Amino acid sequence: MNRFLLLLLAVPLVAQDPRQIIIEVQKRQHSDSQRYEGTLEVTSQGNQVATKRWVYQRIGSFGNSKAILRFTAPAEVKGVGLLIVNHPDRASDQWMWRPAIGRDQRIALQDRSTRFFGTDFSFEDLEERDVDQYDYKLLADEDGMWKLESRPRKSSQYEYSYFWIKKDNYTFVKIEAYNKKGLVRTIDYKNYEQIKGIWTARLTEVYDVTRKSRTILKYEKLEYNLPMKDDDFTLQALRRDL
Amino acid sequence: MILLRLISWPYARKHLLRCLLTTAGIVLGVGVFVGMRTANKSVLAAFNQTIDRIAGAAQLQITAGDAGFDEDVLDKVRELPEVRAAAPVIEATVGTGQNNLLILGVDMLGDRSIRSYDLEGNDDAIDDPLIFLAQPDSLMVTKKFADEHGLAVNSKLPMRTMQGDQVFTVRGIMKPGGLASAFGGDLAIMDIYAAQKMFGRGRKFDRIDIALEEGTRLEDATAKLQALLGSGFQVEPPSSRGQQFESTSRMYALASNITSVFALFIGMFIIYNTFAIAVTERRTEIGILRALGATRGQIRTLFLTESAIAGLAGTCVGVLFGIVMARAMSGYIGGMLTEIYGVAQSPGDLTLDPWLIGTAMAMGLVTSLVAAVLPARGAARVDPVKALQKGGFQSLGEGENRTRRRWAMAFGVASVAAFAFNRFGIMTYIGYVLAILAAVLLSPALSFWLSRALRPLLAGLRPVEGALAADSLIQAPRRTSGTIAALMLSLALVISLGGLARSSYDSLAEWMRIALNPDFFVTTAETLSSRSFVFPASLADGLRAIEGVAEVQPVRSVRVMVKNAPIMVIAIDVGLVAKRVHLPPVEGNSDEMYRLTAEEKGVVVSANFARLHDAHMGEVLEIPAPAGILRLPIVGVVDDFSDQQGTLLLNRDLFIRYWHDDSVNVFRVYVTPGADAGQVRQRILQAFGGQQRLFVLTNREVRDFITKLTDQWFGLTNVQTAVAVLVAILGIVNALTVSITDRRRELGVLQAVGGLRNQIRHTIWMEAIAIGAIGVLLGLALGAVQLFYSIEIARRDLVGISISYAYPFQTALILIPVILGSALLAALGPAESAVRGSLIEALEYE
Repeated sequence: MNRFLLLLLAVPLVAQDPRQIIIEVQKRQHSDSQRYEGTLEVTSQGNQVATKRWVYQRIGSFGNSKAILRFTAPAEVKGVGLLIVNHPDRASDQWMWRPAIGRDQRIALQDRSTRFFGTDFSFEDLEERDVDQYDYKLLADEDGMWKLESRPRKSSQYEYSYFWIKKDNYTFVKIEAYNKKGLVRTIDYKNYEQIKGIWTARLTEVYDVTRKSRTILKYEKLEYNLPMKDDDFTLQALRRDL
Repeated sequence: MILLRLISWPYARKHLLRCLLTTAGIVLGVGVFVGMRTANKSVLAAFNQTIDRIAGAAQLQITAGDAGFDEDVLDKVRELPEVRAAAPVIEATVGTGQNNLLILGVDMLGDRSIRSYDLEGNDDAIDDPLIFLAQPDSLMVTKKFADEHGLAVNSKLPMRTMQGDQVFTVRGIMKPGGLASAFGGDLAIMDIYAAQKMFGRGRKFDRIDIALEEGTRLEDATAKLQALLGSGFQVEPPSSRGQQFESTSRMYALASNITSVFALFIGMFIIYNTFAIAVTERRTEIGILRALGATRGQIRTLFLTESAIAGLAGTCVGVLFGIVMARAMSGYIGGMLTEIYGVAQSPGDLTLDPWLIGTAMAMGLVTSLVAAVLPARGAARVDPVKALQKGGFQSLGEGENRTRRRWAMAFGVASVAAFAFNRFGIMTYIGYVLAILAAVLLSPALSFWLSRALRPLLAGLRPVEGALAADSLIQAPRRTSGTIAALMLSLALVISLGGLARSSYDSLAEWMRIALNPDFFVTTAETLSSRSFVFPASLADGLRAIEGVAEVQPVRSVRVMVKNAPIMVIAIDVGLVAKRVHLPPVEGNSDEMYRLTAEEKGVVVSANFARLHDAHMGEVLEIPAPAGILRLPIVGVVDDFSDQQGTLLLNRDLFIRYWHDDSVNVFRVYVTPGADAGQVRQRILQAFGGQQRLFVLTNREVRDFITKLTDQWFGLTNVQTAVAVLVAILGIVNALTVSITDRRRELGVLQAVGGLRNQIRHTIWMEAIAIGAIGVLLGLALGAVQLFYSIEIARRDLVGISISYAYPFQTALILIPVILGSALLAALGPAESAVRGSLIEALEYE
């Protein structure tokens, strides 16, 4: 009897739709726009640390958003920008702007797996994809977290990824991303705070397993739902210097 | 074996010097063959290695000749599902003082799908990838280049670019190996978009390197890409880039083949001569052997074996000599091709081809055996009874001489007949060989007649010594005819090479006079051959605005694959240029051809293109261009020396439309009559020199540069000339050594009857000079014939350019004292040996 009761109690948890979990995550983290100033610390295998700063702005939300990221420091990279236009049904379009040579460059799909400007992120990691672009599987439910497997339906450098999502506030704790050869990188989300009612990680740590290097991204002056214009998220806007 | 040990070995030991001299021809022939071919192969291998290393994982490369194509082609290519990675590339070479530096402009974001920048595959090669991308002055160099130039990360490297003098920063150093060893390690990587600016390439790429999805067949992907891009593009594996190089080095290979075959041919005569003398010398020995029961076959085998051993020894030394020569030549050829094409390199290691060495050894051995066939047969036929009698030497029978003369006449007639059919390529070669054979067969008779003709002169100079020297030649023609034939062939080779150079220079000078008549050439490099940098078309207006400039003619030259060969397309404003330049037509009407080309109704081709690629007036050429295949009839053929593979002259507007390229390699600038050319030059430099990479070359400087390139090309023939002269001198030394040894008894008798040592010396000296003089006379005469054939072969199969016949009198005048002096020098040793040897021994000889 007790066993049966236990089983009954367990049913809603095991039967929890992983897709619904992701939708709930996205719903809880939804904002119409976002802005933050990020500090990047890239620590190489040889413990050399390079620090850079950028300003990130986004309009729209998952699968239907546009974002511009522009480096502000050091001086050598100031003005270098990236425009990301996310689509609900396909991979994002990305353009890079290099003020020193005065031209933009489309980031080809084939290049999305490459490192994002010497950090341990890849260009693909900067995309925000729609929930329908992946298949999800719930693998485990333990320690107050769900462990989900996500497999991309369309082209991606990753074969699959594991997500750990906190059950109490539907926030990402960790992601492990795998390709055909095995684990590629891990992403840890830390220092969660509520900002305008949205649980927000103030630090993301990426570890490149192959290169054994680490990138820490600290989010500062993070704000949501600021008034922003679509016109500020175009190629013309990208080409504008700071 | 026993015979070899008991008979041959003691003889060889006794005549060691002669043996060495005998094999010298084989050494040189095999050496030249191995040396030149190995040098060519090594340069080609180095080039292919560079291509291979630069190509990385690329399975296909997309090009449109070397003109480049628009960036949007990349997006199209990336759309194909078969394409895993497509990486654009710009390739250019720049001078850095010591060496040329190959700069590879790549897309730093995606290029690693194709190329690996260091051995460990990590990113430490670049200090900060973002700074590398953000700053257009970023360069990544190889460890080797960094070490040679004392560079470290953040070191500065100044370079003159299309945006003026700029200082580049080394932001990464590639570890040795892999890509870093391409171009001999003189390699730098920069961002492709920065490279476009640096080299003035606009928004164009030179090529796209492609890696395919797993499981995609190369043929399928090639077909799909070709269909996608159209036939104006070439979609080929990286290895096919060696084609251009191979076609260039093919010329050197053919030229060197002719020289080495000639050297072997000359060597054959030296061996023949030595063996013929040896048979005569050793007839007593042969007689004894025959008397003791040795068969004719055994005697023949003995001499053939001796020859084979000599040939083998000569071949082995020749191979070693060839390898040493290849080491020196490869650097030279690599440097020369760099000057011409800007992409070659000196190979680090020699590429030794076992097949080539095997062929060379076989050639040496066969030459040696063939040379010994007649003497061996003569030895086998020696009558033991006669051989054991003391007496005169066997001499050339009148019957034998007459037969040779008849054959010579027949070959001579056949050679002339072949000339009548020389429109068939092979007939030229047949006629050439027949003419040489006729001369060789006639040489004994000619030597005899000339010796007789020289007798009064020699006797007039020194009654006793002169007469003795002339008689020696007259009485023993077999002893000297081989040497004279060898000398004749050697000198004929020298004359033909010298004549070819002289004729080429004359024709080139005439072409330069007509075609290169502007006062200045505004270029992006110190040389006209470098096409790494290009000017924007807008500079033309700037130049026209300079005070004192009367006319500016923009020229764009690109290499395009036409008829499966990399042909130079020269795009000019034909209407404008034709007013100042009228190259005499080889085919077609001069005014008409320029009019039709200016109206974009045809193309004028160079004579070398027409000849080398079998193109004719009226034929519609298919010229691949990024906008599609350009089909134009040939409306004229002119002699043009711009490129060894041939040139096509197009109207500039047509080129701009089909290649989407209005950039300019060279501006031809004419100065207003009466204006001070020096001041105009200064004004151009002041106006534009600081803003961009720009050189103003005077007409004289351009002509000197072209002459220098031609000098380099003929520099190779200097090696061949040196070999020919060396063989000639060796031949004389050999003949005299043989002659003295042969006549020791005779010379001993002379001394015994009161002949003074000086008289003996003078006799030998005069004999040597007489041999030299006869050889020079025959050589200069045969050289005239050989020059004719050399020009025909060069015109037909090597460079395709019409070269007017010009006999190299200067070379001939130099050869006379050189050969006569060498003959005299060669006689000093043997003469001293003759007078200082023991009289008793000499009289006991034999």
